[in-house]
Amino acid sequence: MSVDTNVQTRTRRRRHAAMRDIASRWSFMAPASLLLVAVLAYPLIYTLQISFSDFDLASFSPSEWVGTENYEDALADENFGNSLVVTGIYLVLALPLQIVLGFGIAFLLNAEWRGRGLFRALFLIPMVVAPVVSGGIWKIMLDPLWGVVTWFLGLFGIPAIDWFGDAGMAMISIVLIDTWRSVPFVVLIASAAMLALPKDVFEAASVDGANWWHTLKSISLPMLAPIIAATFVVRWLGAVKMFDVVVATTNGGPGQATNVVNLYIYRQAFQLLEFSTSSAMAVIVLVITMVLTFIFLWGSKKLEDNL
Amino acid sequence: MSAVESRPAGRRGGLVAGHRMRVWAGVIVCLLFLVPLGWMLLTSFKEQRDIFTVPPTFFFDPTIAHYFDVLTRGGFAGQMLNTVIVAVGASVLSLIAGAMAGYALSRLKIKGAGVIGALILASRGVPPIALAVPMFLVARALGITDTHITLILAYCSFVIPYVMWLMRGFFLALPKELEESAMIDGCSRMGAFFRIIVPISVPGLLSTFIFSIILAWEELLFALVLTNRTATTFPVAIAGMAGDTENGANWGELAAAGMITVIPVVILALLVQKWLIRGLAEGATKG
Repeated sequence: MSVDTNVQTRTRRRRHAAMRDIASRWSFMAPASLLLVAVLAYPLIYTLQISFSDFDLASFSPSEWVGTENYEDALADENFGNSLVVTGIYLVLALPLQIVLGFGIAFLLNAEWRGRGLFRALFLIPMVVAPVVSGGIWKIMLDPLWGVVTWFLGLFGIPAIDWFGDAGMAMISIVLIDTWRSVPFVVLIASAAMLALPKDVFEAASVDGANWWHTLKSISLPMLAPIIAATFVVRWLGAVKMFDVVVATTNGGPGQATNVVNLYIYRQAFQLLEFSTSSAMAVIVLVITMVLTFIFLWGSKKLEDNL
Repeated sequence: MSAVESRPAGRRGGLVAGHRMRVWAGVIVCLLFLVPLGWMLLTSFKEQRDIFTVPPTFFFDPTIAHYFDVLTRGGFAGQMLNTVIVAVGASVLSLIAGAMAGYALSRLKIKGAGVIGALILASRGVPPIALAVPMFLVARALGITDTHITLILAYCSFVIPYVMWLMRGFFLALPKELEESAMIDGCSRMGAFFRIIVPISVPGLLSTFIFSIILAWEELLFALVLTNRTATTFPVAIAGMAGDTENGANWGELAAAGMITVIPVVILALLVQKWLIRGLAEGATKG
C-alpha cells in the first residue's frame, strides 16, 4: 500500500519536473513569440479579414463579409496588373545583374595583395546608405541639365539623357540605383564564399593546364552554386520590397512606368483610402512572394543536393 | 627541351600580369562605387552657385551653410533624434527577445524548432505593405499613431526574425559544456543563459545589434504610414526633399542631410566590419 503511493508521488513529481523543464525551455521563446504574434501574425490575419470585408470609413473598421469581391476588384484593376508587371520587369533586370556583377567584382577583389582588406571594407559603405538617400544622391548626379553624369557622358559625345523622364530610362535608372546599393552586399557574401574555397583544387587544375574559362566553368561555378543560389534568395527577399528608391526619385512615373506594386498598394490604401481592395492586393502579393520564395528555396536545395 | 622549360616561366609571367590587372580592376571598381558618396560630400559643401555649373566644379570655397540650415531649420534635427530613438529602441527590444529565442532554437531542443525556423524564414518574405494597413488601423484605434513606441513595435516585425536567425547561428557555434557546467553548479537555464552565455557572446550580440540598427535606420514605409509629425524619422524627410520637384533646386541641403544620415551608420559598420561580413555571409548561407 505504502509502496504504491510512493510510486505515485514519484511519477507525479517526475511529471511535474518534466513540465517545469518544458516550461523553462519555452520561456526563452516567450518574448519573441509574444511580440511576433502582436506585430506580425495578428496584422496578417487582420489584413486577411479586411480583404474579405467591406470597409466602413466612418468607424474605420471592416464591416460585413463580402466574399471574394475585393479580390475580383483587385484583379480587374488594370493599374494593379501593370504594377505587378513593372515589379516583375525590375526584378528580372536587377537580380541577375546584381548577382553577376557582385560575384565578378568579388573575384577581382579577392586577388591577394596588401590593400585587399581595406577595399573590402570600403564596399561596406554604399551598403549602409539608406535607400531614400541613395535615391537623392543619384537624382542629383543624373540630372539632365546639371548632373555630373550628364557632363561626364557629354565628354564622350553622348547627348543628355532624360534619366527619370523617359519611361524606359526611368526603369533603368531605378535598376541602376538599386544595383549601386545592393551589389556591395553580394560582393561581401561572394568574396567570403570564394575565400572559403579549397585552394588545392585550383592548383591541380592549373597544373593540368586548365585555362581560366575551364576553371570557372568546371570548378568555381559548381562549387559556388549553392552560395549563388542562397545570395539570390536573400537579394530576392530584399528586392521584392522595392519602394523607397522609387518614392525618392520617380514617384512611380513617368505615367505608371515605375509604379512598383508596393507603391501602388500604398497609394490605394493611404491616399485613396481603398482599404479593402488594397488589402486584397497585399494578400495577392504576399501569396505570389511566398510561392516564388518557396520555389527558389526548393530550387537552391535541389541544386545543393545535386552537387 | 627548352620549349618545355620556357612554358611554365611564360605562364607565370602571364599570371603576374593577370594578377596585377585583377588588383587594379578591383581598386577601380571599388572607387567607382564610392563616387556617388564623394559627389554627395562635395555637393553638401558647395554654395548654390557652385552646384549649378557646367562643367561641374571640383574646386570651390567650401561652405557649411547647408549643414547649418538643415540642422537648424525645419524639423530635421528632431527627425534624426527620432530615428536614433526608434532604431535603438527597436534593436534593444529585438536583441533581447531575439537572442533568447535564438538560444532556445539552437540549444534547448524545443519541439518544432524546425517549423519555427521555417516560419522565421518565411516571415522575411512578408511584404511590409501587407502589415501596414492593420498596423495603421490598430494604432489609430488605440490613439498611439505618431509615437516612438508604435514605430519601435512595428520595426520589431522585421528585426526580431533577423536577430533570431543570426543569434541562432552564433549560439550553435559555442561549446556545449559551458552552460552544462553552470547548470550543474545549480544555475537555472535562465541564470546560465544570462550569467554564462550572454557575457561570452558580446561580440556576436554587438554586431547583431548594429545590424539591427542599420535595418531600422533606413526604413521608410512604416514611418510614412505610422507617423506624421512628432515621431517622423529621417527617411520620410529625405524622401520629401528628394521628391520635391517645385523646389528641386535645393541640392545642397539634400546632400548635407544625406551626409548626416550616412555618417553614423558608416562609422558603426566599419567598427564591426569583420563581424558584419561574417554575419552577412551567415545570414545568407544559413538563411
